[in-house]
Amino acid sequence: MTSAESSLANTRPDNRVPPTRRKPIPAHTVLLHGTIIFFCLLIVVPLLWVVLTSVKSLRDAYTGRLWPEVFDFTHYAYVFQKMPSVVHNFTNSIIVTLSTVVITTIIAILAGYALAHLRLPGAMVVGLILVGTLFFPTRLVSIIGVFQLERRLGLINTLPGLILPYITLNLAFSIMIMRGIFQQVSPELVDAARVDGANSWRTLIQIMLPLAANGIVVLGIVNFVTAWGEFLYAYTLISDRFMFTFPVVLATTFGGFGEWAFPRVAAMYIMAILPGILAFSFLQRFYMKGLQEGALKF
Amino acid sequence: MTGSVVPRRVAQARRRRPLFSRTHGWDNWIYLLPAALFFFIYMFYPILRSMWMSFTNYKYISQAPAQFVGLQNYIDAIKDPVFLTGLQRSAIFTAVFLPGVIFIPLFVAILVDRVKNVRLATVYRLILLIPAVIPAAMIFVLWRWLFDFEIGPINVILRDYLHLFNSFNAPQWVGLSPLAIPAVAFVEIWWGLGYHTMFFLAGLASIPRELIEAARVDGANEWQLFWRVTLPRLQPIMWILVILRFGSAMAVIDDFIIMGGFNRALPTYTWTVYMWHLAFQIGTWPQGYASAVGWLGAVAMLIVVAILMRVFRNRD
Repeated sequence: MTSAESSLANTRPDNRVPPTRRKPIPAHTVLLHGTIIFFCLLIVVPLLWVVLTSVKSLRDAYTGRLWPEVFDFTHYAYVFQKMPSVVHNFTNSIIVTLSTVVITTIIAILAGYALAHLRLPGAMVVGLILVGTLFFPTRLVSIIGVFQLERRLGLINTLPGLILPYITLNLAFSIMIMRGIFQQVSPELVDAARVDGANSWRTLIQIMLPLAANGIVVLGIVNFVTAWGEFLYAYTLISDRFMFTFPVVLATTFGGFGEWAFPRVAAMYIMAILPGILAFSFLQRFYMKGLQEGALKF
Repeated sequence: MTGSVVPRRVAQARRRRPLFSRTHGWDNWIYLLPAALFFFIYMFYPILRSMWMSFTNYKYISQAPAQFVGLQNYIDAIKDPVFLTGLQRSAIFTAVFLPGVIFIPLFVAILVDRVKNVRLATVYRLILLIPAVIPAAMIFVLWRWLFDFEIGPINVILRDYLHLFNSFNAPQWVGLSPLAIPAVAFVEIWWGLGYHTMFFLAGLASIPRELIEAARVDGANEWQLFWRVTLPRLQPIMWILVILRFGSAMAVIDDFIIMGGFNRALPTYTWTVYMWHLAFQIGTWPQGYASAVGWLGAVAMLIVVAILMRVFRNRD
């Protein structure tokens, strides 16, 4: 908190004398930005280390040197050309994630809209159940039951067997996000639409959805990240390595020699985290707006 | 004329609107139907099934039919040293993790909130949010590498660049080491830093500017401003985060499996890992007993959550 105290020393004279521009940057500003940059580096540097490892030559990867003598950019191509099982895992991930995101979003939009704007007997109970799932360790307590259920339904080692529980996993949270976003839309707008003869369905499609676009982006990204990298269910419900999702393959391999040399595993790692980061950087404008519009409070 | 029309309309309305009609709103439940299906099949049913199993001696790999054993599983679990140690380990993890995941993001949020340059503030927020879009499992895989004793860059720097340690006394970050729990807690805090910072930034933005101006006019310094104005305003957010994160910290399992594995001696072998290990690997997969372990752990943490909520409510 020294920055707060030093800023005190600097704010008082500022109130009297109009601040003169282009003067040396005050110490507390340096301290402020320095501290924030320290935290930013703490986040970025570990990730950069993986990027660096993914372009090391195999020989350099096994010496205790951080900066490689020889770079080798072929690991990414190698993974895709020479490791068919990994490509298959990658495809699994894409199928599972896209299905989960699309279905969860649709279900959450329907339920969130009804809870926010429609007359719904029992809405209180539904709300309590939704909040309750935040506090109850649902995933942990239900996993044995989910396993037995899927065994009976023949869903073990199948992709639908992952998609169905993944949808449930984030559903309560997603519904609460959507309800929060729809609540920002004024009820008068809904009433006006009703007076104009729109039924509840048309109100949702034509009035609500365009207004909730930013929130839906937040929801999509949150669900994308969860489904793309979910570990415990995949680890429990899938025993066939070929059916694993991509991140689970990485989580269950430490890496070492041969095909799974460290630079190649690092290249896979970058491929595993890149979709999320790319989606985020393309959609960040909407994401930030969505957060401000209430996607964060639930 | 009007006199004859109105009664007919009322009569029609009565005929067309029985109990399940628009006026009651039951038909709107169609919007919740898909959600309800998923909740019932993939949440309520498995949870209830695991409750029922916890009163039986159900073993997955066994021909013998399951028998009802009453509270025997729970009695066994309370006396089971592995379960009790596991619960204790989770509690230690939570105690290390909780202050970090509240106060570090709070500190960062207060700093970012003071940045006047809008573009710079956005860039900081974006960088801090990067871990929030990296899936959980990938975070733990990353730090498993970073913490690796031999090839992990942290030890490489400490050993080969700074020469603070040699290959015999270098710190063992994960595995059989007192550092394992703090290390995993650090990883969780690292992961949640940006996300929780956004919570506090939203809270800070909701404090009316006039309130701060007024306090300044009254001669409050920055330090007093923080304690008397900012912190009280952020307290509801902090309490919600404490309660939510307490629950998630006690139930952490993925980190411990990925970074630790299934060695009972490790400090990362918590009650959650024990439950999974029992249900899906140990012996004949005693899922009845594992369910009891799961429920007992869940109830134990829910009791603490209830106490925290009471304290929170009384403070209001």
